Amino acid sequence: MRTITIAIAAVALTISASCAGVKVPVATTAPAPAGASLWIEPTDLGSRDLYYGPWGSQHAPDPKGVYTLVERKHAGVNLGLTVKDAQGREWSVKQPYPGGLDPEGPVEVAVSRLLSAIGYHQPPVYFLPAFTLKDDFGKKVEVGGRFRLKDPSLKDAGFWKWEDNPFVGTKPYQGLIVLLMMFNSTDLKNTNNTLYEHKNGDLVEQWYMTRDVGSALGDANPMAPRKGDPESFERMPFILGVTSGKVEFAYAGWYKNLVRDRIAPDEVAWASELLGRLSDKQWADAFRAGGFDPDDANRFITKLKEKIDQGRSLGARAADRDRQ
Amino acid sequence: MKTLLRCVFASLCLVPAAAAFAQEPPAVPSSATEPQGIVPEPDAITRAVLFADRNLGKGDLTNGIYWDFGNMIPGAGWGNAGPGYRHWYGKDFAFIDASASISVNNYRLGQARVELPGFLKSRLLIGASARWQNFPNIDYFGVGSNTTTDMLSIYGIKSSQFTGYATLRPFRWMGIGAQIGWTNPQVSHVSGPMGATEKHTFVPTEVSLTIDTRDYPGHPTSGVMLRGAGANYDDRTTGLNTFRRYEGEAASFVPIGGGRVVLAMHGWLVRSETRDGHSVPFYLQPSLGGIDTLRSFTDYRFRDNNMLVGNAEVRVALMTHLDLAVFADAGNVAARPENLDLAKRSYGGGFRLHTRRETFAMVDAATGDEGWIVSFRLKDPLGFGRIARRALLVPFVP
Repeated sequence: MRTITIAIAAVALTISASCAGVKVPVATTAPAPAGASLWIEPTDLGSRDLYYGPWGSQHAPDPKGVYTLVERKHAGVNLGLTVKDAQGREWSVKQPYPGGLDPEGPVEVAVSRLLSAIGYHQPPVYFLPAFTLKDDFGKKVEVGGRFRLKDPSLKDAGFWKWEDNPFVGTKPYQGLIVLLMMFNSTDLKNTNNTLYEHKNGDLVEQWYMTRDVGSALGDANPMAPRKGDPESFERMPFILGVTSGKVEFAYAGWYKNLVRDRIAPDEVAWASELLGRLSDKQWADAFRAGGFDPDDANRFITKLKEKIDQGRSLGARAADRDRQ
Repeated sequence: MKTLLRCVFASLCLVPAAAAFAQEPPAVPSSATEPQGIVPEPDAITRAVLFADRNLGKGDLTNGIYWDFGNMIPGAGWGNAGPGYRHWYGKDFAFIDASASISVNNYRLGQARVELPGFLKSRLLIGASARWQNFPNIDYFGVGSNTTTDMLSIYGIKSSQFTGYATLRPFRWMGIGAQIGWTNPQVSHVSGPMGATEKHTFVPTEVSLTIDTRDYPGHPTSGVMLRGAGANYDDRTTGLNTFRRYEGEAASFVPIGGGRVVLAMHGWLVRSETRDGHSVPFYLQPSLGGIDTLRSFTDYRFRDNNMLVGNAEVRVALMTHLDLAVFADAGNVAARPENLDLAKRSYGGGFRLHTRRETFAMVDAATGDEGWIVSFRLKDPLGFGRIARRALLVPFVP
């Protein structure tokens, strides 16, 4: 019986260790290295295409194409494949579990579109509901998901840490955390943050990206968060209040260190203003890109706009207080 | 007849799917959704399933450390757990896996295997496995169908086993397997009027043919599984326990009403053959009883040289991830195959907690000649996990 108890305790420890969260971020005084960026001001925000996203239709997968299996996905909790298309381009496909309970692919593409529209770097991701796969036994139709292109201009240079990077404490960094809270993102582990070396002519830029953002648009239940579930998303509040000048979020997930006593009202307002500049068409396109049913998309958009209003009013109240 | 054959061939070769490779984007396969249940599902069940799906549902695919659950032989109890490590190499060309686990009944198992599944464009898998096991308390009621529960004895079995195996897969749905192994079961009498303390060395070999079109082996809702196997256990200690075993098995899963109801049927015949003066050791005789065969009888309740069992089960989607099941089992064991019948029977019902591809937990209540038994397990009762194992097991596992 003792061995069994030890085994059960070990299982519990493993599960909690895998969800241990991140350390409290500490701002550095050193400026970001040349060419390194987390965010670039979206000067053309109103004209951005949120259906094909920042990489455009030329980087999109062909929905009628045949994709050859390279290997199955062996990391993470989602099913997936690496495949090659007819042009020889390699794709990382994230698939839902059979039965389609809370698939992450649609969420990841929609959230990625919203983040990239307002200036955050994002990789080329697209959603296909189904695709034709060719493996050693022949062709078959597979349930689709998120297709992420392994573009030669982007070199994966490992992950960056929330608590230790050149942008801690800057408005784009704080704003990114606010946005992830707004989306009810739950999987904020460091290994989902990827540092890409982006070739831009002779210049190599360092793009700090928050990748794999598919654990969102649901709630933040620590053990089994819902994802892409309008009902859970509508139910979960965004901001509970402001205490000692810092915003209290309703977030109850594993990564509280990112938000506890760290975010000021004006940082929430900054992110809300930015997202609030999207047009209705851009909102609809972002969710259409993720393959969402229009009714579900409307529910997410309505709730997100409520959160934006809440964020803006928080900023307005803080500004009033400052004036007084 | 010709039409029937064409239909069977078409379904096996996935011709309907091939028809979708036109110029239009393919339609989303039905596996993307799950049939809705009769009543709305409470949030707690959905989250439990979501947790299980994300943390346990990926099977062999995830590289790294994992926890081995529910992968022990009958008699081990409702569950087992232990650490494991697995890794794929060379774009799925090679796979290694090692694990050790302990069950609630103190059954202990350690195993390691290496597989190369990518030969001949994935048509040929070659592998080798090593296994150490110590099962300290297995029930033994004697041989034959007329044994009674007061004859219960307990024995323990400890063994090491090494196996080399190969599977040829000419089609996605067909496997032709061959294996050769070495094992040294040490049997010890623990309690009760019967049993023996003995030690043998066997060289087991087997060839098998499996046709499997089930949609998800961990939670089958459509398709068939047909299997035939012939094995030889060569007793290298005395030669007196050398025997042959032949198996025929068929299972069918028929979805009705868009999959809200699944009719499952299963039949399994095992025959042992010995030369004059030779015998099959009792722990390698086919046995009946437990959730995989006769659910109102305890594990290994009946054993003899031959065994026949049939199961019928109807599963109704009470909720999206919770099925209500009613079932009937019938079978028997006999010294001679011509004496086999379906005289031992079980009836009952239960619940299955599942996702589309995996049954994570089940509870059954079954009744028969020996009263009621309530069982809880972390697997599907008609998942046939034993056919996925590459090595012949000691003892015989129903």
